[in-house]
Amino acid sequence: MPIPETILAASGPRRSRLSHALTQNIGLALVVALLVACIILYCGLYIATQHRLPGGYELTSTLNNTMPLAFAALAQTLVVLTRGIDLSVGGVIDLTNAVAALTLMGGPVSTTIWTIAILGIGALCGLLNGVLVAVGRLQPILVTLSTLSIFQGIAIKILPQPGGAMPPGFTGVLANPNVPLSLIYIPLIGILWAIFRRTRLGVSVFAIGNDAMAASSHGISVKRTTILAYMLGGVASACAGLFLAANATAGDATTGDTYTLTSIVAAVLGGVSLFGGRGSGLGALFGAFVTVMVVNILFFAHIDPLYQTFYEGLFLLAAVIAANVIGQIVRRRR
Amino acid sequence: MSAATTRKQPFLNRERRRILYAFLAGIILFIIGELVRPGFASPSGIRAILVVASFVGIVAAGQTFVILIGGIDLSVPWVLNAGAILMVTSSLGHDARAIPALALTLGMGAAVGALNGAGVALLGIPAVVMTLAMNGIMQGLTLGLSGGMTCTSCGAYAPPVVQAAVHHSFLGLPIVLWIWIAIIIVVSFLLAMTRFGRMTYTVGNNARASHLAGIHVSGVTIVLYALSGFFSALAGIMLVGFGGQAALGMGDPYLFQSIAAVVIGGVYILGGRGHYLGSVAGAISLTVLVSVLLAFNMPDYGRSIVYGVVILALLLLYGREEENG
Repeated sequence: MPIPETILAASGPRRSRLSHALTQNIGLALVVALLVACIILYCGLYIATQHRLPGGYELTSTLNNTMPLAFAALAQTLVVLTRGIDLSVGGVIDLTNAVAALTLMGGPVSTTIWTIAILGIGALCGLLNGVLVAVGRLQPILVTLSTLSIFQGIAIKILPQPGGAMPPGFTGVLANPNVPLSLIYIPLIGILWAIFRRTRLGVSVFAIGNDAMAASSHGISVKRTTILAYMLGGVASACAGLFLAANATAGDATTGDTYTLTSIVAAVLGGVSLFGGRGSGLGALFGAFVTVMVVNILFFAHIDPLYQTFYEGLFLLAAVIAANVIGQIVRRRR
Repeated sequence: MSAATTRKQPFLNRERRRILYAFLAGIILFIIGELVRPGFASPSGIRAILVVASFVGIVAAGQTFVILIGGIDLSVPWVLNAGAILMVTSSLGHDARAIPALALTLGMGAAVGALNGAGVALLGIPAVVMTLAMNGIMQGLTLGLSGGMTCTSCGAYAPPVVQAAVHHSFLGLPIVLWIWIAIIIVVSFLLAMTRFGRMTYTVGNNARASHLAGIHVSGVTIVLYALSGFFSALAGIMLVGFGGQAALGMGDPYLFQSIAAVVIGGVYILGGRGHYLGSVAGAISLTVLVSVLLAFNMPDYGRSIVYGVVILALLLLYGREEENG
């Protein structure tokens, strides 16, 4: 199915396949370069301070710490692609995390059923957002700011104190502390994203993000697509809540709050355009890893943790400015 | 649609109606509060609520400016907090140092805001990302420089003059309310009667067309963001005057509340339409709502839920986009 992107039509015949692919995926290429740079810097600092290479433990814990943010960034990307923004990501994580703490305690069968139910709760949260945006014709930033408050309230209501204990099997599958199982999940997300991108819904999401009017006149239902994008985002946020619960082996109704902002940071680093229609789930995934690696680097560089957000903010700005500049250079060279 | 545009604009056009609704909501909430807890709407009760509302209202002034050009300022919490801490650490509670400290603090706010504006206008960074990053930068700087509020001067009190400005009364009204009234008059005059105000609305409606019409769009943007930083810092000063001392996290509630106040007051989130008087009404209604919920002895989580539901309900009542296609 053809991808409705204006650049496709504008690209001349002279360009090679490779340079075309690079121009098309400049955001993705940048975030991969950023991630490689982060990993090299991290390893360098690690060797300098610990006098050995980071090993399996570091790999596993970094992966387990990143998975919740990776899903949150994926959720944010799905919504931002439709030219929206989802500030309720943190609230959905709070809510699903709290429900997980209360319900996941039985055997494998009940755990599986409840896990699916929790994903359903995420979808419902997304449905609420999507309906208010698409049918209620409200601005996404206002809708999700309000639902953030609502979801946070419900989460604290059902789990006033942090607690609950995750079944060992659940933690073993989602955030195994000994085996880097996430090495399976990441390619899986990549494959799922590649499939999604080629489905009717995936194409529609990109289309309405680029130009809702044009998409609508080509027979795409803007309302239906928007609602589904928010629902998928809700499911991804619920995944983040589940992975977070598995990693912490307990639930906390406020633990998701920070993810609203960090999901935006990771998605932006991953090359998503806040003006919609541009970005990828794979980029969000890498963006999440970059965000976590930056924190690790600051730790090993012995930066006072009080200054942590200062450097994170500077880093975000530098990355966005660099992406702008490089994007312009690449586009001019065409 | 064409009939509506050709018809003469009634005095109560859509924007003015929204401001009126926001004020009516505040009055109804006052009545509900009085019914739940007699004395709620007594003169002293109203005065106390208005003082709390003035802090939200002052932050909302800056938020109104940037939202009028389709921007947003997410750096409010830590610009406010940095302002509050800078005020006490630079004045050390001495009246003699109050004026330089005030100038320093307000200048800091305006400078940080101007940086936000420069990032948005000159570097083309989306406002959400720019102000989000700035919030992190200010948070890190505030925490780091104050050593997590462990510095010796961090525990200083606000100068007595500043405390008096919040607590003392003049002609029956606390001085902070007079300051707020002055801000309301100046901001409304600025937006409605001056060239700068017209430029703000023009940029908010169509930045490209404004540029072609010869308006210095990036200059206007930088000034508006600088004003937002200025008002955040001013609110920080007022809050240390109110509470006496600065604390970490004191700016956190003001992000949500300032945006909510602006939106409840009918300022269009994508820019170009709205009045500060609306944001004022929004700030008052929100504060009364919180007080009423407190009067109902509603726990935190309940307040959080009701808050979200009320804002959604108000948005559905009058914040909807036009149908297109």
